[in-house]
Formats: sequence, structure tokens, C-alpha cells
Amino acid sequence: MMILDKVAEIIVETAGCKVEEVVPEAELSVLGVDSLKAITVLFELEEAFDIEIPNEVIPSIVTVNDILEKIAEIRQ
Amino acid sequence: MLNRRVMVTGLGAVSGLGLDVPAFWEALKAGRSAIKPFDLPIDNIKMSRIVTVPAYETNRYFSSEELTILDRFSQLAVIAAQEAVDDAGLVCGENILTDAAAIIGSGCGGKHTDEATYDQLYKQQRSRAHPLTIPKGMPSAAASMVSLHLGIKGPAFVLASACASGSHAIIQGMTMIQSGMIDVALVGASDAPFTYGLLKSWDALRVASADTCRPFCKDRSGLVLGEGAAMLVLESEEHAKQRGAHIYSEVIGCGMTSDAGHITRPDVFGITNAIKNALHHAEVNTDEVDYINAHGTATTANDIAETEAINQVFGAHAKDLAVSSTKSMHGHALGASSALELVAATLAIHHGIIPPTANFTEADEKCNLDYVPNIARQQPVNIALSNSFAFGGLNAVIALKKYT
Repeated sequence: MMILDKVAEIIVETAGCKVEEVVPEAELSVLGVDSLKAITVLFELEEAFDIEIPNEVIPSIVTVNDILEKIAEIRQ
Repeated sequence: MLNRRVMVTGLGAVSGLGLDVPAFWEALKAGRSAIKPFDLPIDNIKMSRIVTVPAYETNRYFSSEELTILDRFSQLAVIAAQEAVDDAGLVCGENILTDAAAIIGSGCGGKHTDEATYDQLYKQQRSRAHPLTIPKGMPSAAASMVSLHLGIKGPAFVLASACASGSHAIIQGMTMIQSGMIDVALVGASDAPFTYGLLKSWDALRVASADTCRPFCKDRSGLVLGEGAAMLVLESEEHAKQRGAHIYSEVIGCGMTSDAGHITRPDVFGITNAIKNALHHAEVNTDEVDYINAHGTATTANDIAETEAINQVFGAHAKDLAVSSTKSMHGHALGASSALELVAATLAIHHGIIPPTANFTEADEKCNLDYVPNIARQQPVNIALSNSFAFGGLNAVIALKKYT
């Protein structure tokens, strides 16, 4: 499964948006990811990719693409 | 300081007897017990009898978004709260409900959520907790979720006094209305205690019956745990009359005491004073009371102490009182029991029918009252008491009266 597919699955499951809306440039807030849902998304990402997402990077995550980049960075 | 009269204008109940008040009352009238063999998918539990809420379609009551933040005890609270406000004719978004209070008791809070996370951390050795553990599991979650679901923006909180939590919550709402602080309060309690850790802990107390719940009987063998929630809409008389609300009964007084004695053993003195205080507060003579919905757990310690206290307070009139324990039917749903029992007492007044003590065989020699064995009694009830005596010696008695 592509990383985007898994990320999209988590966002759809958490925020209830449509999977086709979860494109790299989409803003998380527009997809319905509020602050409470954001911590759930982060939790699910950490579980799915077996990574730790530090709190410091959270403010820089605005779009779906930001998530993809952070995952790639952390996994390196 | 005002001293306004307080009316019951709405009822909601979720219990082993059904998902609403009509199902609850039908079962109580029929003397039908929800006690059944332990059938939860949890291994290694000694408890062999239980009362569970019937399965329900969650999407009938909650949005999928709500469900992600609802512990089971909050779900039960919201279902009962919705029924109570619907019954009272109150509507989400309208001022009456917006300004109301939501005061909810709970003996154990969001244990399903807490334990699921602890299981993952301690047993499965997972490294992270689910991020919604705190908002779902916090003891106050039930009040928050009821407030969110119904758009209640007045005072809202959860209070805890074990098996008297519902009574204390109802008393809190009553006094806030009496004092003029608020006009309408949604009050009650919710408990969902069927988690591995809690069941093991109750096993360790050795108070659960292996048979059934037979309050006040010679062959009683202990309590049967249940789950559930009950809510009442309380309202000042003036407010209720002004909007033409249906009035079930009047809450006329309360008595609260603490034993300052033993952590689990009830104290006759504390119980006696709680009943006396309720009568004094309600300005009622002992011979005016028709019915007592007893705490009646079917433990040796409770039943004898409660009977002795009733005899002490009521003297010769004790023999003329109807005293029943509806725990024989809905089980001991901890804090929620006291709220379920106040709903039962309210309906007894409203319908003129006293629910029985089910599963009754032969009275214990130290239990010498009229326990309304097995069959409901058609009898006008003008004044009723509801007794709740919690672990830790926290006692609460509420007096209700037929509204005229």
C-alpha cells in the first residue's frame, strides 16, 4: 500500500471525509481534522508506520503532503 | 433565599429491564427480574449472575463522530437523558434546555476506556495510549457528553458517592432549583462497570450472589451487579405550570448523612438519621409515608441494618409501610441504581402501583417488614422515600409526594 493510501485511510476514518478529497495539497482543517482529531490521526500514523512524531513538528503539519514529508523524514 | 417547590416532569431509564421507561415499568409491575447467568465474553470471573443492558443500535442514538468519544457509561447517560428531556417536552436549542443544569452521578466513571488503554499498555506492552483516553474516560465525561448532546449550557458536573451517586446528584439539582439558582435540572446517574478489572475487584469483595438477588430473605446470598442509567427532569413548580408540563410527582425533601465508621459496613445510626433528616426536611410525619424503595442489596449487612433503621424511625407505623427492593429486578447498577430507584418510586406514586421485591422466598428472621413479595401491589401512594446507602458510609434519602 502506498503511504498516501494509508494516510488517506486514517484521515477518512478519523474525520469522516471522502477518500478522493485526501489529496497531497488538501489542508487537514478543510478535511475536518480539528485539534482533537489531529491527535487521533497522529496516534494512528505512529501505530501504522511504527514511528514517533515529535510534538515540535506538529505546527508545521498543515496539509496532507506535510504528513507525507514528515513520515518520510522520520523514517530515514 | 427562596424555597421553591420542585417537580419531576420527565423520566428516562436504561437498564437490564429495557432501553426506556415503559420497558422498565412494565417489568417492575410484572415483578420480572433481568438477572441472568453471567454471559459476558470475559474469562476467569467467579461472578455467575449479572444484569446487562440489552444490545442496542448505536447509530439510533449517536452520530459516528459522537461515538468516538463516548465511553459506555456516557452512552447510557445520553440515552436516558434524551428520553427524559423528550418526555418532559424539552427541545435541544430552546432556551429552557440551554439554561438547564446537568448533574450526573457515577460510581465508577469511564472504566471501559481506562481499562482498554491500561490493557494495551500493561498487558500488550504497547508504547502509546490512545489519545482520546482522557476525554472519554474522565469521570466527568458523562456530564460533558449529555451537555454536548442536548445543548445544555448551565451548570454541569459529575459527582461520585458510590451507590448513592444518583441520589446525591438528584438532591443537588433539587436544592439548586429550591434556592432559585436554576429553573430546570437534568439529574440522574450512569454506570457501566463490566470490565475485567472491575469484575475481578467485585469478585474479591465476595458479596456477589451465585443464585439471584433476594433482598431481605432468609436464603439471600448477596447482590447481583448491573449496569444502566436513569435521568429525571426536575423543574420548579412555577416553571412547570407556566409551560403546562406534565408533573409526575414532587420532590419534597432529602436527608444526607455520613457514617464516619466502617468503609463497607453500613451503620444503623447513619441510616436512621438520613431517613429522619429527609422526613424533617420534607415536613412529613412518619405515619404519612406509604412506600419506601429500599436500598435492599440482599447482603447480610445491608438488609438487617436497613430494616432496623426503618423500625427505629417509623415505630409502630413500620408494619404498615410497603418496603420493596427493585434491585431484585434491575440489579445493583452502582450509582445508577439510586437513580433507577427514584424513577421507580416516582412511577409508584404516579400509577398507584408499588413494585415488588422479586425472587422473594421467606423473610429473614431479622427482617420483619412488608417487603411486597413478588407481586406488585395496586395501592395509592401519596408519599414515598427512596433509600441509598453507599460503600464508605455515604447515605442519601429522597422524599417524593404526589402532586396535587
